[in-house]
Amino acid sequence: MRTASLVLVAYLLCTVVTAMWRLWPVDAMRDALPHVGALTATYLGLNARTRIAPALAGSVALGYLLDLVGGGPVGFGALTLALAGLVAVGVQRRILVRGLTMTIAFCGFVGLVAAVLGVLVRVAYDVPRASFGTEVIFVLKASLSTAIIGPLVWRLFRRVDAAFARTHRERDAALEGLVP
Amino acid sequence: MTLRRRLLDWILAAILIIAPALVLRANLRNGEPGSLDEAILRVTSPLQAAVTWIVEGIGGTWGRYVALVDVEAENRELRADNDRLRVQLADTARRAFDVEALEDLAQLRRQTRADTLGARVIAAPMSPQFRVLRLRIDRGEREVQVGMPVISFQGPVGRIQNVWGEYADVMLVSDPQSSIEVLIPRTGGRGILTGLGRGDSYACKIEWLERANRPEAKIEPGDAVVTSGLGATFPPGLAIGKVRQVLRDDGMFQHVEVEPSVNPGQVRVVEVLLAPPPPPDPESSVRRKNEPAFGGRPL
Repeated sequence: MRTASLVLVAYLLCTVVTAMWRLWPVDAMRDALPHVGALTATYLGLNARTRIAPALAGSVALGYLLDLVGGGPVGFGALTLALAGLVAVGVQRRILVRGLTMTIAFCGFVGLVAAVLGVLVRVAYDVPRASFGTEVIFVLKASLSTAIIGPLVWRLFRRVDAAFARTHRERDAALEGLVP
Repeated sequence: MTLRRRLLDWILAAILIIAPALVLRANLRNGEPGSLDEAILRVTSPLQAAVTWIVEGIGGTWGRYVALVDVEAENRELRADNDRLRVQLADTARRAFDVEALEDLAQLRRQTRADTLGARVIAAPMSPQFRVLRLRIDRGEREVQVGMPVISFQGPVGRIQNVWGEYADVMLVSDPQSSIEVLIPRTGGRGILTGLGRGDSYACKIEWLERANRPEAKIEPGDAVVTSGLGATFPPGLAIGKVRQVLRDDGMFQHVEVEPSVNPGQVRVVEVLLAPPPPPDPESSVRRKNEPAFGGRPL
């Protein structure tokens, strides 16, 4: 239920961010949408308590929805987000993502990883892509925009997590971004 | 968590990684959305449309009514640009008009066999009804003389009336003092075209146009009027205008009103005919043989 709620909120957030991003004041960043999907997959991966399958299932479901809405080949986003979720699971076992600076840096890393994974999946499946230079610039822009919006997205997700807490302790832990 | 549950979890995770890869491969081969895809799109499209509509509305309101910080400065710049471009456009239009007039003049010079001199119209006094009374050109005493015919691309304009200094006045064909020998090509009738001197039009008249009781020689409105070439002023065949109406027809002679083809208000450049064209060669249609040279004839 918690994962389903997060996926639904992420989907709504993606729709809103996609519609609003073109109002961004900096022209150079308008074509680099933040990876809200990757942020969600990473959040699910970071907060995978003991089982990783529900987190990956949520990532795949969100990726599938985003593929449908975005008009891309179905499976592309799902695969990318599943891999991003897997990376987050690996990260969660080694480092603790807390504090604003760490969160921004990690969100930038998530944007970078998601963009690079997207490029790798396109290379693997021979999906048309831009020149190397354009791809690199786009990857960096996407990483930056994801870093900007990441802390806000994760704060929202923590609120959703807190709503599913059974005890005060769990609620506080969820708001702090700690895996209970 | 037991080993079995952990193993199951990893197997599920592997399936969740492999399944999108397979779906992507299948989708890249096929490309057609399935019935599940269509159903999801049908559900999500209204939501997406609503979000886009709200965001567009908010963004549009913000951009149009709130975020107007630089609008005044931008407006000032645009107004200055607009003024500069208007002046530029007027200048370009004037140049284009001049070029067009000069092209007409060049074509007129090629068509006219007589010796001509180009001139620019520099002034045009007008009647109270805004009709041009005469034209002033930039050719003076050393170049033109009184009585020389003046033509434009549309046809005869008039004759030089006064010359002083570097300028000359042209009496228009619509002036009552003007008289030009004309011909109606359809009927062959000849007459003298004089101006009516109306303040509100450039109308002319032809009096004593011979009919000689021939029905086919009757002038109709719309008949073309051209110069006859008699009087050694205007070259023959220049279109002067068209018959607008028949004023009187007594069976022997007709009096008609003519609408000139030249609008003096639009004439910018003219040609002054310095000398009448040479008379046509009467033997031009006769084939001549070359005279034998030195009494011999080539084989």
